[in-house]
Amino acid sequence: MKNLIFYIHLNTVKILLLGNEAIAYGALAGGVAVATAYPGTPSTEILETLEEFRDRFVHWAVNEKTALEIAYGATVAGARALVAMKHVGLNVAADPLHSAAYTGVEGGLVVVSADDPWMHSSQNEQDTRWYGLQAYVPVLEPSDPAEAYRYAKTAFELSEKLKHPIILRSVTRVSHVRAPVEVEPPSPPKWGRFSKDISRFNLVPAYARERRKALVEKWGTIGEVSAELMRVEPGGHVTIVTSGVAYNYVKEAVRLLNIDATIIKLGMSVPIPPKIRELVKGTVVVVEEGDSVVETQLRALRLETRGKIDGYFPKYGELNTRKVAEGIAKALDIPYNLPQPPKSPIEAPPRPPVLCPGCPHMGTFYILRLATAGLNPVWSGDIGCYSLGINTGQQDLITHMGSSVGLGMGVAVASKQFVVATVGDSTFYHSVLPQLIDLATKKVPLLVVVMDNAYTAMTGGQPSPSRLIPPEKIAEAFGIPAFVIDPADIKTSIEVVKRAVEIVKSGRPVLVVSKRPCVLVATRKARKAGVAIPKYKVEPEKCIGCGICYNLLKCSAIQARPDRKAYIDPVLCVGCGICAEVCPVDAIKGNGARVKWLEVWQQA
Amino acid sequence: MARGMATSLVIVGVGGQGALTLARWIGEAALAAGYDVRIAEIHGMSQRGGSVEVHVRFGKEVYAPVVEEGGADYVVALEAVEALRAYKYLKPSGVLVANKRVIQPPGKWVDPQLVLEAITKSGIKAYVLPCFDMAMELGSPIYENAVMLGAVSKLLNLPMPESLDERNREAFRRGARLVV
Ligand SMILES: Cc1ncc(C[n+]2csc(CCOP(=O)(O)OP(=O)(O)O)c2C)c(N)n1
Ligand code: SF4
Repeated sequence: MKNLIFYIHLNTVKILLLGNEAIAYGALAGGVAVATAYPGTPSTEILETLEEFRDRFVHWAVNEKTALEIAYGATVAGARALVAMKHVGLNVAADPLHSAAYTGVEGGLVVVSADDPWMHSSQNEQDTRWYGLQAYVPVLEPSDPAEAYRYAKTAFELSEKLKHPIILRSVTRVSHVRAPVEVEPPSPPKWGRFSKDISRFNLVPAYARERRKALVEKWGTIGEVSAELMRVEPGGHVTIVTSGVAYNYVKEAVRLLNIDATIIKLGMSVPIPPKIRELVKGTVVVVEEGDSVVETQLRALRLETRGKIDGYFPKYGELNTRKVAEGIAKALDIPYNLPQPPKSPIEAPPRPPVLCPGCPHMGTFYILRLATAGLNPVWSGDIGCYSLGINTGQQDLITHMGSSVGLGMGVAVASKQFVVATVGDSTFYHSVLPQLIDLATKKVPLLVVVMDNAYTAMTGGQPSPSRLIPPEKIAEAFGIPAFVIDPADIKTSIEVVKRAVEIVKSGRPVLVVSKRPCVLVATRKARKAGVAIPKYKVEPEKCIGCGICYNLLKCSAIQARPDRKAYIDPVLCVGCGICAEVCPVDAIKGNGARVKWLEVWQQA
Repeated sequence: MARGMATSLVIVGVGGQGALTLARWIGEAALAAGYDVRIAEIHGMSQRGGSVEVHVRFGKEVYAPVVEEGGADYVVALEAVEALRAYKYLKPSGVLVANKRVIQPPGKWVDPQLVLEAITKSGIKAYVLPCFDMAMELGSPIYENAVMLGAVSKLLNLPMPESLDERNREAFRRGARLVV
């Protein structure tokens, strides 16, 4: 319904759309029938937007590989499918991606991968476009939301015409930029039917060799398609080759520098059109966001270039107008003096992200700290809200999704140290399931703690399968002893975890599942249902300023006052009451109804 | 202005203060006024009490979605410590519009008086406005961003966004009066 009203407006007005919303609407205009994703910033809103369209198959998959496989299968059967993920998700999905290039597709297959230069919300800066070269998959690179919309639609048409998958490479500054976009109503979903083709869809060596030959041959022809998506903005005797979001900075930089340059904007940055060789004139400057993917291809065409390879532009971080203007000036050897940005009169103290007040992870970390006291554990961490356990010194190793149990096993066998692996429920299903089998068959002594908040909280609260397929049931099926605790029940839980610790000490793996839904989801639902949420207060006469609540438990609703006594912000308090449990002198009191509230919360 | 007359804003605050919404309102108003608009948001940390920073650019023709250091015509801060953090974005001729409120960062206690003095004595043109107090007069801190919107819209000569509800409209009107 919401969407209907939306479209009545859309026929006449441009509206402000997030790049990710634009990609979703572009896919709808392109007749997408099957859409899958695993959440990840900055890509999540693509599927969130598509979720509202009930005439399509839209699914949050358990991980990126499964997501791509479902979409790939659908396109092999002739349907149009989109799969969305963040850049590192493409590592997880890389295997089927390569196969998709070999078999090709029947319906259009669009793989959206959103890069995150400068790692606003990621563990690395990898550039998706390398996968295009590596897997022989063309890469379209929109520069803003309006173009993201058009390219999403174009990608389906191209993919179907070429019978080949297409990567749509976004970046944070396209996916999470809002700009005016003109949107057409959705096209009906295009479903399909699987036609058997033994020598095409069975990548056994004899057939795969033929597919390989066909693939390299096809790749040679895609350069012409790439040329169709290239735009030349004629100008003076220097050439700036650019693609994607970098184009915007180029446009502003040439105006700022007041230079007359020919700008070649690539729409498909992998592969680049070979005919570009005849179009460039004068010094060739290359401006791109990410690695030097375009520049590397230009050099393969034996062109001399000035870009990231020789350091005209920084090799890390995000571009902006200033960096691009500086780089172009250096490359063209023209003077350009930038005014220094002003300095803050006093330095602002850092304000790092913290766990939400009342976050169940806060209780779990406190329980784990006390139950493992004296063991000096290695905290093998993972990616999710609980990464913020770093604030209490309880994450020593966070590298990628699934690092907790995977690397944790390695640390345990190599060092014989006591290892606690903390993993969120969504990450548990995404990556840890197979690791659990190794853990069970090899019996590595590891304390695995599933911080089961029933949602993929870090990315905004997508559903997780934890209620349908509880982690403790899985562990039991594998022969790993499992314990369930409630992070709001500190005292009981510490005793339970101590028992688990004893089993690990005897040389066996154990799973502890700490169950309580994400408090953000719970308070949202409680507010809607009109459920009363208690508030807690510190009695200053009783408080001895020990700091257990604000330093060890580290609830972000609790501050130290200048006299070291605790103060609970009444606006931030969500009534979990955990602070009252940990206070050694009983100085924190709530105003009723905790039990009822905790019950409602547990159902959120 | 050499940059094709685009106006660049950096909007900052603390997670939960509604900096994203404020940016969207400004974008909506600028679009209604006939400008091209870019709003660069950062998602993920906004709900977790960390610093939030959103860039808004509008004008006849806008390309770059982000504002570089030294490139902002306005820094709009819903919180005073964050105003200091965003200083580097200001052009020498830039204007700082800051809420008078200090939200204590975790760890070290900062003296609000010191922060506010630093802002007013920095040599940059600065408005320090009681958005929080005014929001509380309206009954809730959630009106803080709408009060700020009123003030900023007045300075930027932008209309009131249509999507505001009645309470936020009142907050807007009161905010606009703060800068006359
Ligand atoms: C391969 C990969 N895909 C996606 C992400 C984005 N991401 C980071 S953490 C996370 C899951 C968080 O959910 P969960 O493990 O349940 O922890 P919570 O945030 O709920 O505490 C996701 C999807 C990523 N970092 N890597
Ligand atoms: S979003 Fe949920 S899981 Fe994440 S920190 Fe907040 S309460 Fe905790």
